[in-house]
Amino acid sequence: MVRMRATLAVLAVVLAAGCSAPGSDSEDAGSDSGPIKIAVVDAQSGQLSSLGAWELKGARLAVDEWNAQGGVNGRQIQLDVFDDQGDPTIGTNLARKIDSEGYIAMIGTAESAVTIAMAPLLKQAEIPNITSGQSPGLVATKSEFLFLNGPTSTTYDETLAKHIVDQEGIKSIAMITNNGGYGKGEHDAFLKALRSRGVTPLADQVVTADQKDFSAVLTSIRQKNPKVIFLGAEEVESGLIVKQARDLGITATFAGAAPQGTPVFIDTAGAKNAEGAIVSSPYLSNDIDEASKKFAAAYKAKFNEEAELHGAKAYDGTQILLTALKTSNVASGKQLADAIRATKHDGLLGDFAFDETGVGIFETSIGVIKGGKLVAAES
Amino acid sequence: MRTKLLVGAALAVVAWFLPYGLDSYAIHVVNVILIFAILAVGLGLVMGIAGQVNLSQVAFFGVGAYATAILTTHAGLGFWVSGLLAIAATVLIGIVIGTPALRVQSHYLGIVTLGLALAFTNWVTNAEVAGGAEGISGIPSPELPGVDLSSEYLYYYLELIVFAVALAFGLFVVRTALGRRMRAMRDDALAAGALGAEVPMLRMTAFMLASVYGGLAGVLYAGLIRYVAPESFNIANMFLLLAMVIIGGRQSLIGCVVGAISLALVREMLVDHPTIAQLAYGSVVVLVVVFAPTGLAGLPRRARAYLDHRRGARGTAAQLGAFQPYEPAASASGDELLAVQGVSKQFRGLKALDDVSLTVAAGEIRGIVGPNGSGKTTLFNVISGLYKPTRGRVVFRGTDMTGRAPYRLARAGMARTFQNLRLFGDLTVEENLLVALDRSRTLSAWRYLLRPLNVLRRDRALRRSATDVLHRYGLTQFASLAPKSLPYGIQRRVEIARAVAADPALLLLDEPAAGLNGEEVRQLAEIVRSIRDSGRTVIIIEHNMGLVMSLCEQITVLAGGRVIAEGTPSHVAGHPAVIEAYLGDTGEFEGATR
Amino acid sequence: MQVFLQTIVGGVSLGAVYALVALGFSLVYRTMGLVNFAHGNVVTVGAYLASTFYLSTKLPFALAMVVAIVVTGAIGLVIERVLRPLENKDFDLMLIGTIGFGIVLDALIIMIWGATGRAVPSPVQTAPIDLFGLRIRTYDLVVLAIAALATVLLVLFLSRTKRGAAMQAVAMDHEAATAVGIHVGRSNAIAFMIGAGLAALAGGLVGPLLYVSPALGGALGIKGFAAAILGGFGSIPGAILGGLAIGILDSFTAGHFQGYSELVTFLVFTVIIMVRPTGIFGERTVNRA
Repeated sequence: MVRMRATLAVLAVVLAAGCSAPGSDSEDAGSDSGPIKIAVVDAQSGQLSSLGAWELKGARLAVDEWNAQGGVNGRQIQLDVFDDQGDPTIGTNLARKIDSEGYIAMIGTAESAVTIAMAPLLKQAEIPNITSGQSPGLVATKSEFLFLNGPTSTTYDETLAKHIVDQEGIKSIAMITNNGGYGKGEHDAFLKALRSRGVTPLADQVVTADQKDFSAVLTSIRQKNPKVIFLGAEEVESGLIVKQARDLGITATFAGAAPQGTPVFIDTAGAKNAEGAIVSSPYLSNDIDEASKKFAAAYKAKFNEEAELHGAKAYDGTQILLTALKTSNVASGKQLADAIRATKHDGLLGDFAFDETGVGIFETSIGVIKGGKLVAAES
Repeated sequence: MRTKLLVGAALAVVAWFLPYGLDSYAIHVVNVILIFAILAVGLGLVMGIAGQVNLSQVAFFGVGAYATAILTTHAGLGFWVSGLLAIAATVLIGIVIGTPALRVQSHYLGIVTLGLALAFTNWVTNAEVAGGAEGISGIPSPELPGVDLSSEYLYYYLELIVFAVALAFGLFVVRTALGRRMRAMRDDALAAGALGAEVPMLRMTAFMLASVYGGLAGVLYAGLIRYVAPESFNIANMFLLLAMVIIGGRQSLIGCVVGAISLALVREMLVDHPTIAQLAYGSVVVLVVVFAPTGLAGLPRRARAYLDHRRGARGTAAQLGAFQPYEPAASASGDELLAVQGVSKQFRGLKALDDVSLTVAAGEIRGIVGPNGSGKTTLFNVISGLYKPTRGRVVFRGTDMTGRAPYRLARAGMARTFQNLRLFGDLTVEENLLVALDRSRTLSAWRYLLRPLNVLRRDRALRRSATDVLHRYGLTQFASLAPKSLPYGIQRRVEIARAVAADPALLLLDEPAAGLNGEEVRQLAEIVRSIRDSGRTVIIIEHNMGLVMSLCEQITVLAGGRVIAEGTPSHVAGHPAVIEAYLGDTGEFEGATR
Repeated sequence: MQVFLQTIVGGVSLGAVYALVALGFSLVYRTMGLVNFAHGNVVTVGAYLASTFYLSTKLPFALAMVVAIVVTGAIGLVIERVLRPLENKDFDLMLIGTIGFGIVLDALIIMIWGATGRAVPSPVQTAPIDLFGLRIRTYDLVVLAIAALATVLLVLFLSRTKRGAAMQAVAMDHEAATAVGIHVGRSNAIAFMIGAGLAALAGGLVGPLLYVSPALGGALGIKGFAAAILGGFGSIPGAILGGLAIGILDSFTAGHFQGYSELVTFLVFTVIIMVRPTGIFGERTVNRA
């Protein structure tokens, strides 16, 4: 009987404790002294880690430049990297982690799925996030804390279609896209751009993201004999497609967005095969203008490798964040997000001006691969 | 038992108060870990308990999560309804993915389930309804009046309760009839079938159980993360899950949970060095497999065994008791029980049996003898359903049973022992008997859900019968030991006790005296006679002619796959064909008749 | 028609690589009844080694391949040695052990070569052959020839040499083989070594066709495994036929089902295995009671 009463007592305590919900203590988002903590969340391992590595370098370069000039409001900026391994579940863990460890803003990720998974948590925690994804799904999260450091697929492909159809007058176009997040976005955006011009693609082929042999797809395209083949796939897969297409005797010009301008694409395809490919990109090369030359030189000096698009995007994104921190007097949460939205920035990719959806840049340029290098197209 | 309960209670209290000491990041990690723990329990059930290599547990997880996501966002159903439907959907998929297990096992099953898991990821990456590679976001959090489950602290309690119930149910299954039968199937599917375990049904049940756990975890995942994408259910996570189960100890559900928690914690600690974490858990898997196959869960027992060994407590002091004869029963002697009619069995050109016919009357002890390779064991395998005869029929109790699955024959009243002993190695002696004593259908496993008390009551009754059998065969002191640790003669006796425990009308004994000493052979003869006197019929294959001659009323002699003689011992011994067949092989016949 | 034929050509090209991978699986399986789940990762190691020696130390491609084969053969020996206590005891555990090795190798690859991967230029620069509009890459022919040569050499080794005969004996009945004085462990080790060597051969050859990255072997491993099972696990001609069959199946599903090709490939594979679990050349194993 005594035992029973004791059990009941314990039970009552437990229940009472259960009713007063745990964890209602609110952590402060950022303290007013000490370094300003910014997190870079990106895949540092796994298949997409090259994007993550580039992005980290771009962000690091920007932060180091600011720190060298005394930081923001006299406070140094502390940049820490977190590895999401390309896994959305780990992404959510990290969202909680950076929240509880007092980071006030986040740079990354390069994987749309991870960013989308993190978005609601970051919104709840009021941590502004500048991502380098470009998928329409990012905009669809409708989070006022999510910003894109580059154009969306719509911008890339609208520019591309304008160049190919309107300027070059080519209407004989075939499409190969993969079913991954990036490929799907490219597929929809480019198809829409073509349709708005009254053009129907000769072929609209979908491949899987880890396909290796494209003979069936390419042979059926070869029979339609298009002038231009649009590629909506990541660097390596696009390279393989181009290599196999040339082996099959396809002479058509390839066209695509940012991945088709990268060295990985050119290496995989072979420089000869990639020659003439049309690329729509906000950052064609390291010597477009003074700003890019300066950035490229600093990048090279710091990391001993050539700068490229993803680093440039992260650099721009970080610059915007730091500028907003400065103009808002190191605010956090909603105020910081508003400050980012209000920031006008003349960056490497162009003039940033964010709209309600968190997209800040609506312009890309057309480049061509010549002699194994991406150069601006003569217009 | 008492300490176990206390530890359990202490853990429960700690688990209940855990959130008070955690920040929002830690509680999120804990919530994710609990989901993985539920998954691991499911994988432990199908792989560790039922022995089915299932590499699609992560797909079950995905189906549960995706179904919840689709039903809540597209169909606009509430979370709870969606969750229930999602679990139902997962079970359906579980049945589909489990189907190959009916035809293939081991590594074949591994690649098929792995392939189907990849097929699932491929489907969700493409399907419009699953949101493609972008996945589905904006899943609503579950609603409960008065409790805000969008708070991860309160969500923890939801998960904790589901986890506790799931684990308790898993342990309940493992420790009662269904789980015992699965473990028996894992150790030796052939012997389990010969004892009446419906192997196909059991395999499907195992996959269904695993899919329920996968589905539960998926629903919880959808409610917690509120976003699903193909990457969350990739193969890397499958291998991580596998590592959790192996490191924790696949044969123990508690071990699986410990493995899941510890591996997830280590991974979280090494989150900035995932490659090192990967290297570490890969190496640990290899080490565990080689040096501690029972995983963390098996360590205490191994340590105890080691200490006992060091202390010099070699061997068990257990003594074999005397056999207590059965009460003689009036046997309905004379009626035909088994008829083998013109059976032939061919193996790629080799004719193992050639037009063999024989009939055995109820209440008989029939001996089957013949030189090595004369087809005796093949005949047993045909009778007990392991082989399908190329030609001919097997009629048992008046029904044509040719080519029926072994478990059907077992259920019709046939039991057998094996030439080279097929005891369930990881079950205790008592459990070996319990598997045979349990004559319930696997279909009746629905009782686990609806009438758990009934299950417990039946299990208690089974244990009482097992105690009787142990006592009758003098095995009481060996009840809790592993069969492999016992001397050969005792293992033989356990196997006979197990076969008789299945309450057969016809008992097939394949060389029961092999490896026994003289005294043991004498005891064996006594046991077999008593078994017959209790109203059963016995067919015995034996090389020990003395035993056959003294025990059997009728003897059938096989040579080269044909019946060359049949009749009473003295008749057979004098048969010229028999003497010719045995010439050069052995002089046993003369020795025995002299 | 042209699409049809070109699809077959494309399928055969990767099919030859799958066949080499399957050959490694089958050889290990027939000798010791084990499926080496780390085989795919060994393929990756082979691809990295071959491309490293080819690109960095500027060895001729053939020589780079030989070095890669030798090194991976040694890795095979290590795996076998570590798992030897489990041989002929618990195959499910051994299988999981090889999965563990796969995880370890994967991590090591990332540590040594990074996660990003590299493109390997083709060592054969000749233009593709044009046969009535059907284009056949010269390098594909080289791959086919090497695959055929490797198969012939393997068959000769198994049938003509003493060591090979011993391995055949172990494959048939390891207890009997032990009884007549054959060192089963050594046979298994050699099987593992040759299997790993074949994996390196496949990886090295596929490098210039594809892109060498840590994920390379995973896909090849699963397809090669499926090929081995389809052909009849343990059968040498079965591995070759299965490899080509999976290659062509893959190629056709990619053409017809586009994004859903992987789903279709694995469903077809599952159905085939359910209908005929022993594959094309497999023999029904007799369950000895």
